[in-house]
Amino acid sequence: MSVVTGCASCGDERAAGAAFCESCGRTLATGTPPAAGADCPACGTTDAVGADGYCGHCGRLVVRPRDHAETAVATVAAAVTDRGLRHHRNEDAMWLAARDADVDAVVCDGVSASFDPDIASEVAVEAAGRVLASGVPADSPGGLAARVGAAIAVAGAAVAALASTGDPRRAASNPACTIVAACVRGREIGYGWVGDSRAYWIPDEGDAEQLTEDDSWAAHAIGLGIDPRAAAVDPRAHAITAWLGADAGPVEPHTATLRPEQPGLLVLCSDGLWNYLSDPVEFAATVRGAVRKESDLLRAARALTALANERGGADNITVVLVPIN
Amino acid sequence: MAYTAEAFQNEFLALGATEVNAIVTVTSSGAADGRRTAGATEIIIVDCSGSMQAEGRMVAARQAAKAAVGCIDDGVRFAIVAGVSTAQQLFPAPGQLAVASPRTRADAVRAIDRLQANGGTAMGAWLKLAHQLFAQRPGDIQHAILLTDGENGEYKGYLDSVLREIGGSFTCDCRGVGTNWQVAELRKIATAMLGTADIVAHPRDLTAAFTQMMTTAMGKTSADVQLKIWTPVNSTIRLVKQVEPQMVDLTGKRTPDGPRAGRYPLGAWGAESRDYQICVDVPAGAAGDEMLAARVSVVEGEEALAQCLVRAVWTEDAALSARIDRQVAHYTGQAELADVIQAGIEARKAGDDHTATLKFGRAAQLAHASGNTATEQLLATVVEIEDAATGTVRLRRRVEAADEMALDTRSTKTVRVGRAR
Repeated sequence: MSVVTGCASCGDERAAGAAFCESCGRTLATGTPPAAGADCPACGTTDAVGADGYCGHCGRLVVRPRDHAETAVATVAAAVTDRGLRHHRNEDAMWLAARDADVDAVVCDGVSASFDPDIASEVAVEAAGRVLASGVPADSPGGLAARVGAAIAVAGAAVAALASTGDPRRAASNPACTIVAACVRGREIGYGWVGDSRAYWIPDEGDAEQLTEDDSWAAHAIGLGIDPRAAAVDPRAHAITAWLGADAGPVEPHTATLRPEQPGLLVLCSDGLWNYLSDPVEFAATVRGAVRKESDLLRAARALTALANERGGADNITVVLVPIN
Repeated sequence: MAYTAEAFQNEFLALGATEVNAIVTVTSSGAADGRRTAGATEIIIVDCSGSMQAEGRMVAARQAAKAAVGCIDDGVRFAIVAGVSTAQQLFPAPGQLAVASPRTRADAVRAIDRLQANGGTAMGAWLKLAHQLFAQRPGDIQHAILLTDGENGEYKGYLDSVLREIGGSFTCDCRGVGTNWQVAELRKIATAMLGTADIVAHPRDLTAAFTQMMTTAMGKTSADVQLKIWTPVNSTIRLVKQVEPQMVDLTGKRTPDGPRAGRYPLGAWGAESRDYQICVDVPAGAAGDEMLAARVSVVEGEEALAQCLVRAVWTEDAALSARIDRQVAHYTGQAELADVIQAGIEARKAGDDHTATLKFGRAAQLAHASGNTATEQLLATVVEIEDAATGTVRLRRRVEAADEMALDTRSTKTVRVGRAR
């Protein structure tokens, strides 16, 4: 975990983040690669991993930092992202920053049909995370929700800009991703999203609540009155209707603020998890069970990604757990 | 010299798939100031068999050899061999190499005037003498020009044994003048010696052909560039092939180099760019696995000049694995083009007009679709192309032998596909 040493643009003490213990999406996403000369975990050959990350014996790519990354800030928050079992790379990315009980969290899911979706998600979490950490706009009338909205807008611009840089194939199929972000200050939770990555509120007692409403064909169809069960199994169910990217048009994030009456757990996740727990009641029961059963937050987050993998691991899986006291 | 190596491929494989294909483009910007990193030796071998008397071939060959000598840079070692029933060194004294200078070039020109057409054809002996002369200059860029107008007269199998012995030790560009020589024979020599083979139908064109060969040779600045290919355990290299500027199969020319690696000779290099196709069979991986299927390095001695990676990534996403890389597809087409032309020529010689028409039709289609206009024009001398797009052709009743031989020798010439992506 690295410490943000200052904000060059505003100089605000809080924004400067001198005390912000940050484990940002980028360091998380890149992790610490095994040193060259390590043993190959695939074929077991000793001293086999080359400087480029491939095993010098079986050729397997050993250094894959984004396949599985995790971080935790004591009892304040934990986050895990995992490639899953079917996808060839992890196109999800996450950002987690915390000071005392204040937490910023971002989850992005790259759109597989686009070019370089893994870059899109990586760029988006960092762009949004930095805006959340900067604390600007600090005292706008919109409060935390407005800050999250601003963060998502900046992330959208950063992802849109990718289309005209780097590999020319990006121009034909521009990098794109979803986003869900949350900014927790005391008992106040600002959150926002574009696409089908979700936020849930799971109070210690009572019914859980899905805070986000997917920008997806299924959600749109249900809104128009189609039977939810029929909509969920429609081949178009998962087609998203909004995203970040050059072809997304102006980004209009959904934002809101939650001031819970009682303690509970804020969960951000990508569809790699919620696809296996589509019923909010089951989702809440599973998360509560994991938190109760495991000795700490990080283990609980790991247990949830493991569950998605046990059920097929069809997509990349990311989950962030933030307890609210 | 500054080299680059770039791999073009679709790295995504369906589950269970094991064949990895890539096109590797190797480009060199040439040496600084065009200076050679090694010395250079040139040997010119002129067929002096009795048949060279016909159609003014000997006169033209003398003129062409003089023109080639005129192209040799100062300081380059050179010799001239008169090809008769044995090999006779015409210039300088037997067993010697001259150092090119205005004086030695003038001496060589006078010696060339003594070339007389009065012997036999013994290509194995000619190449062996050249090999002995080159052996004095290890490490040099070694290049020979071999001119003939007929079929090899040595006992059957001798040329093959010589090529097995000396193959790859120097570069030999072969030219056949007229139409009484054997395409297969010169192609065999050129392939073994990493050179080119071509027809010079008219003796009057010999000077241009010799000048072009010698100028190209003088442009080479590195003697012995190789492709070093590392592959993972339990994998097999199915083929390594130069696919541009012409098809040359290098698969059998592998020399082992350490565990799981081998070297393939690329010959001498100047400022140029060539494409290679590499096909490797690897053990299948699970969904999401990424494997290094080949690490391809351009090397000169122990120095690695450039490197690129050929990868394999297994996926369940059929949309990814079904894509065929444009470069791989293009050169697969160019290889088929060379194959169908040769099959067409075989069929036509065997009197199987039906097969010949089918093969040439497919060739016309492939040449047209890939923009290989040179080959399409050569095809048009053998067949009437009614519709290249559909491959509709008719065999011509009368075909000049020279045209058919040109189509045969040049069928392995390829073109590049546009690199815009």
